[in-house]
Amino acid sequence: MHKEAEVEAEERYSRQIRFAPIGVRGQRRLGEASVLVVGAGALGASLAQHMVRAGVGRLRLVDRDYVEVSNLHRQTLFDEEDAEAALPKAVAAAAKLRRVNGGARIEAFVADVNRRNAESLAADVDLVLDGTDNTEARLLLSDVCFGRGIPLVYGGVAGSEGMTALLVPGDHCCLRCLLGDAAPALTCDTLGVISPAVEMVAALQAAEALKALTGNRAALRGTWLTVDAWHFAVKEWKLPPPVEACPHCGWGEPTAEARREIAEYGGFVRLSPGMERYKTRDGAKAVFLGDEAEEGAGADALNGDAAVKGTREDALHGADSGYEAKDALSSDDSEDEAKDVLSGDDAEVEVEDTLSSDCSEAEKLVVLCGRDTFQLTLKPSVSLAEWRRRLVAADCAITADNRYLLRASTAEGERIVIFAEGRALIQGAGEVERALDIYRHYLSDETRRRADEPSVGF
Amino acid sequence: MNRPLDFKLYVITGENYHPGRDMLEVMEAALRGGADIVQLRDKTSPKRELIEKAKRLKELTAKYGVPLIVNDHPDVALAADADGVHLGQDDLPIEAARELLGPRRIIGISTHRIEQARAAERAGADYIGVGPVYPTGTKPGRQAVTTAYVAQAAVEIRIPFVAIGGITESNAEEVLRAGARRLCAVSAIVGHADPESVCRNLLEKINAWTSGEPAVVPASLPISVALSLPESRNVREIVLTVNGRSERTQAATLLELAAQYKLEGRSVVADLDGAVVPRQLWGETPLHGGCSVEFVHFVGGG
Repeated sequence: MHKEAEVEAEERYSRQIRFAPIGVRGQRRLGEASVLVVGAGALGASLAQHMVRAGVGRLRLVDRDYVEVSNLHRQTLFDEEDAEAALPKAVAAAAKLRRVNGGARIEAFVADVNRRNAESLAADVDLVLDGTDNTEARLLLSDVCFGRGIPLVYGGVAGSEGMTALLVPGDHCCLRCLLGDAAPALTCDTLGVISPAVEMVAALQAAEALKALTGNRAALRGTWLTVDAWHFAVKEWKLPPPVEACPHCGWGEPTAEARREIAEYGGFVRLSPGMERYKTRDGAKAVFLGDEAEEGAGADALNGDAAVKGTREDALHGADSGYEAKDALSSDDSEDEAKDVLSGDDAEVEVEDTLSSDCSEAEKLVVLCGRDTFQLTLKPSVSLAEWRRRLVAADCAITADNRYLLRASTAEGERIVIFAEGRALIQGAGEVERALDIYRHYLSDETRRRADEPSVGF
Repeated sequence: MNRPLDFKLYVITGENYHPGRDMLEVMEAALRGGADIVQLRDKTSPKRELIEKAKRLKELTAKYGVPLIVNDHPDVALAADADGVHLGQDDLPIEAARELLGPRRIIGISTHRIEQARAAERAGADYIGVGPVYPTGTKPGRQAVTTAYVAQAAVEIRIPFVAIGGITESNAEEVLRAGARRLCAVSAIVGHADPESVCRNLLEKINAWTSGEPAVVPASLPISVALSLPESRNVREIVLTVNGRSERTQAATLLELAAQYKLEGRSVVADLDGAVVPRQLWGETPLHGGCSVEFVHFVGGG
């Protein structure tokens, strides 16, 4: 760091540096740290803000949703203009965060985190902060983090309650071991949510993240904590060690399915699963311990060989300027592979089963956060301008149109949101059947044919 | 009530059993003998007089650090600053008495079958009377419930229960064998020429059955450590705490317990004695008497 920048940083973070456990050394580590925040909703936006204000050098933020008015009561980074413009949360958050701290390198991705892109997103970060809103995504993050030896700070809220835990590969068992396979969890849609509960959990997550990133390992709680902001109560329980037989946190053999998934979506590190885990875990541990002497070795292990690193750079930094998640994350994979992105996700099996016969053309429909929103990937990938043309031809009213997404209202009042990366949300359809109808009428190839023959209206 | 309620020997006044002797004198003998909770029962005196009696008795029991319970009348209990009230099934409901007495005073109630005991527990009674175990002159005409009900209460009821009705030095053993750990006697004590020695003898018998068991059963406070049943009873049930409530279960493992609550298919985090237990280890995680389990629904919003 140049002398001038150093002086400026010292001024900027003076109160935080004065906090003895962080100090100059801890602050420097924050500046060198890379953090991935998954989800830019209530928790995610708050977490991102904590990290960026604290001086984390590089923050990667990924979110699949866009800002709506109903978010504003708890999602503190957004305002009415963002909702009005229907900006993707990742984009709106990044814009705010850049104003908060111009020195931070902020990478925003508009994307649904899935098996195919999760590895790339987490590849070169020191810590992952969970700001997601569903169990499936969390289990996926857990798999990826434990595979790569990256500490994961889980956080969840619903109603006035929240939970959080920092899971450290090598020290603790993974989220999959704690929870079993995905099952419906308490969500903001069923219980509602109040902002203070969000902020309590985000604050606790951020505190553990700061400890981890500044090398304050001894100060980590090592517990699963639950908190209720309304009927005030805090409880915590010691986190268990890795489960020997688990392929993620222990040393168990990956299941056939896991093997298939790793082969299919494992990304660029095509080593045997066991080797990869071994390598990355040791590396991450060294970095995590924050020991100067080991840091070099850790970084090497994390980066893998040069070829791998190159791929990753391509994968993630190819689209720095435009947040084009599609370009950034599809990199070397063909369109055909992209189509299967969601099929590997066993959490949605039930919905998929009911749809698979009906909906071979459509990508798999996924219920998003249970809030009457269905998500699907579109095929073939079409530009937003072309979608606009088709939807207008199908008598839809365009209610938002920016460089990241297009939002349209059907004649029946349902909303269709199409993201530039080729993903769509159908909102307000109520039933799966209706969502499918909407897909068939507006988003399938049928739509294109109708659009090409203007005389046939819908 | 500032401390958890516990007692072993419950003595009730019965002036008709000791004509010519002063009630306070008799009760003091019982207290010297180790009575650790006293009830004023007087179905005949007018309230004004009853309050005076209660006040004097309270002075006495306070000297021995023993709570005084007033039979039937919350207003008398309040007026005399007694420690609690004992209700019959036909008296004021527990909830109403609680309204009058506030959270700190003791409320006990007589029960004659397990349904009443369960209801009392649910309604927030601090203890229940279980009886009459044997036919008694104090409750003429009431069918004895026998030790079968005592055994039932011992298995099911978590708040302190005291066996009452016709209990004497000679049948106390039988009642204790059925699972009672607290005894109450009226005529056997106050009708005896030497209440002090009767109390001593009864306490000795009770202590023989309770040695080795934790002495304190928290009543109105959240229960964190619960009792194991005595081994001699040879019941494979254990008492444990589930989400802050004392429960009995025959589940041998965490998985079986989760199944009882129908939690197998749900996103739940399980904690045993302060540490989270990984889900796949539930089946091989044994439960032991007195352990504390928390099941927490996974919170998934963000």
